[in-house]
Amino acid sequence: MSRGPFRILVVNPGSTSTKIALFEDEAQRDSASLAHPADALSRFIRIADQLPFRLGAVESFMAERDIRPASLDAVVGRGGLLRPMEGGTYAVDDRMAEDLRTAAEGEHASNLGGLIARVIADQAGISAYIVDPVVVDEMDEVARLTGLPEFRRRSIFHALNQKAVAREAGRRLNRPVQSLRLIVAHLGGGISVGAHREGRVVDVNNALDGDGPFSPERSGGLPSGQLADWCCSGKASLSEIRRKLTGHGGMVAHLGTNDLVEVERRIAAGDRTAALVRDAMAYQTAKQIGAMAAVLEGRVDALVLTGGLAASAVFTEAVLARVRWIAPVFVLPGEKEMESLAQGGLRILRGEETPGSYAASGD
Amino acid sequence: MTRILVVNPGSTTTKVALYEDETPVWSETVTYPSDSLASFLRPTDQMDLRFRDLAELLRRRSVEIGSLSAVSSRGGPFKPLEGGTYRVTPTVVGDVLQGRVQFNHASLLGVCLADRLVQGTDVPAFFVDPVSVDEMEPIARPTGMPELERRSLVHALNIKAVGRKVAVQLRKDLSQLRMVVAHLGGGISVCALKDGFIIDVNNAVEAGPFSPERSGTLPVHALTEMCFSGRFTHAEMRKKIVGCGGLAAHLGTSDAVEIEKRIAAGDSRAERVYRAMAYQIAKEIGAMATVLKCMLDGVVLTGGLARSQMLTGWIQERVGILGSFFVMPGEFEMEALALGALRVLRNEEPVKSYEQS
Repeated sequence: MSRGPFRILVVNPGSTSTKIALFEDEAQRDSASLAHPADALSRFIRIADQLPFRLGAVESFMAERDIRPASLDAVVGRGGLLRPMEGGTYAVDDRMAEDLRTAAEGEHASNLGGLIARVIADQAGISAYIVDPVVVDEMDEVARLTGLPEFRRRSIFHALNQKAVAREAGRRLNRPVQSLRLIVAHLGGGISVGAHREGRVVDVNNALDGDGPFSPERSGGLPSGQLADWCCSGKASLSEIRRKLTGHGGMVAHLGTNDLVEVERRIAAGDRTAALVRDAMAYQTAKQIGAMAAVLEGRVDALVLTGGLAASAVFTEAVLARVRWIAPVFVLPGEKEMESLAQGGLRILRGEETPGSYAASGD
Repeated sequence: MTRILVVNPGSTTTKVALYEDETPVWSETVTYPSDSLASFLRPTDQMDLRFRDLAELLRRRSVEIGSLSAVSSRGGPFKPLEGGTYRVTPTVVGDVLQGRVQFNHASLLGVCLADRLVQGTDVPAFFVDPVSVDEMEPIARPTGMPELERRSLVHALNIKAVGRKVAVQLRKDLSQLRMVVAHLGGGISVCALKDGFIIDVNNAVEAGPFSPERSGTLPVHALTEMCFSGRFTHAEMRKKIVGCGGLAAHLGTSDAVEIEKRIAAGDSRAERVYRAMAYQIAKEIGAMATVLKCMLDGVVLTGGLARSQMLTGWIQERVGILGSFFVMPGEFEMEALALGALRVLRNEEPVKSYEQS
């Protein structure tokens, strides 16, 4: 007698809303984006303090759509800021819940993902998981060293989407991802380009920290001496410079917008500065892809472009014009976070993978 | 027959040679122990000392300046200039003496020494392919901060010289070729050389791979925090980036021969750091290949470190697939300086103007 589909609830908290979805196997059956008014959230000093409030919203949604915890097989939350770990699906154990609650590795709305999942899962006596958080770290040692012993490169990137599209590339090539050498370029508000060697992301630019190409919102890597001169010049404060690195760097700093569609409109209307900035962003992205090709010794099974900017035919072509000779190309625009989270849970439920242990990892 | 005196000041040496047409007649190096120059704040403060030793050398060699066809000198990190052979004029000398330069380096002395040598004669003095050669395409210039543009500071003289040598080997003209050239010395330049122009390059002073003495590109967030931490002065931060970064910072020495000895003796930390340098160089080569749309006539390794089979082997493992691999160890600067002057004296190329650039 067949079992029926696995029912997985997925919870993905963002800064001003919580996305929630119900999956039956790979199919999404129900979903919503629960908006939280700014004045409601501003009462809470720390992100973890929002837990009861956000849980309330999630539970209301579940009641409204008749999704009973007892009917679920797993709850999967977006991964938050945690200690570096290998990629995979991890049970939300006590150690993880503690680190999320205390914001041990930093405050971020996504920290609530594992916490909300755990509460709901406990009600049903099932497991809560997170999948491929941004802190996934599988970097080769050789990639971590910089020109100063005080600084080591950190792996912080769009692991969830990068690994999901890597799996998709494997499906299309009809080969398991553990046998493949891939370059995945996630082109979003931040840009991360990763070298995937046999399922491990052995080098990737730090999308958050000022490393690699500039992006719609981030400054990317900068020449060290000039940056040091600027920092020491007294012309800008630390917080002003920090803003320019993330959030207000890149396209925003040059053109006042992080919206590529808007920028392409301006280019079509004859704005040459916008064209130069857009082209420079594609150029730097291509260079980062070339660097990752060297990491993989030039033997690359596929190059995947993904993320929001990959929806722009003009932008992807500007990148591909320089790099398509490296490998066969797949363009998989956007990022299907909810689906990727559900699939992470599904791989555990189907016995295809065993969950990682946070308490045992790192240190 | 032309007689060209070539003068090439480096951080601890002044190399001098006499060429008759393309042929070197003699060459000598005046060497300064590094602590003897440490008391001078700026390179230009060394002028009197260096000129005195140079004049003494020329006396010993019985060189009459008036009998020369030209004096040709290395050019330093002046304002950005196109590649080529330039006349040494009071303007460029004045800019150097007044510190209107991008960076302080002993190569700045070249034009000052050449200028003083030809005083009172009508012998022309030239400089060729200075460190500030800037042929970058506009697309390569923006960074993610409008306040900072990428700068071209590059071992242009040697890079163009080896480019020409590879062209000869390939029986083509440099203007038809596309190469990635990596000059691996105390500083490292990795560039895309297209049709003879350096259309993109990491800033050899402060970006790209780390080197024996430079830290290269660093994680921006961490660097910013360190600058504002109050623990280091601006000068100390600059020293971490140039002079005491890279291999020197990790291993206490910038001497690759010494480091390879340590590796051979089983020093695994030395090996990890040395490999990381090769890794970063390979990544920069991979990046520059995309500037040329991955269609290359060759990858060229040059500079002192290209003598290292260990290093070049590791690099070739990662990027050998890009095409023909050429290793031309050392540098060909003296010859390049002579030939640059010769091309102008023979009217094969127009002399360029510093003032009009």
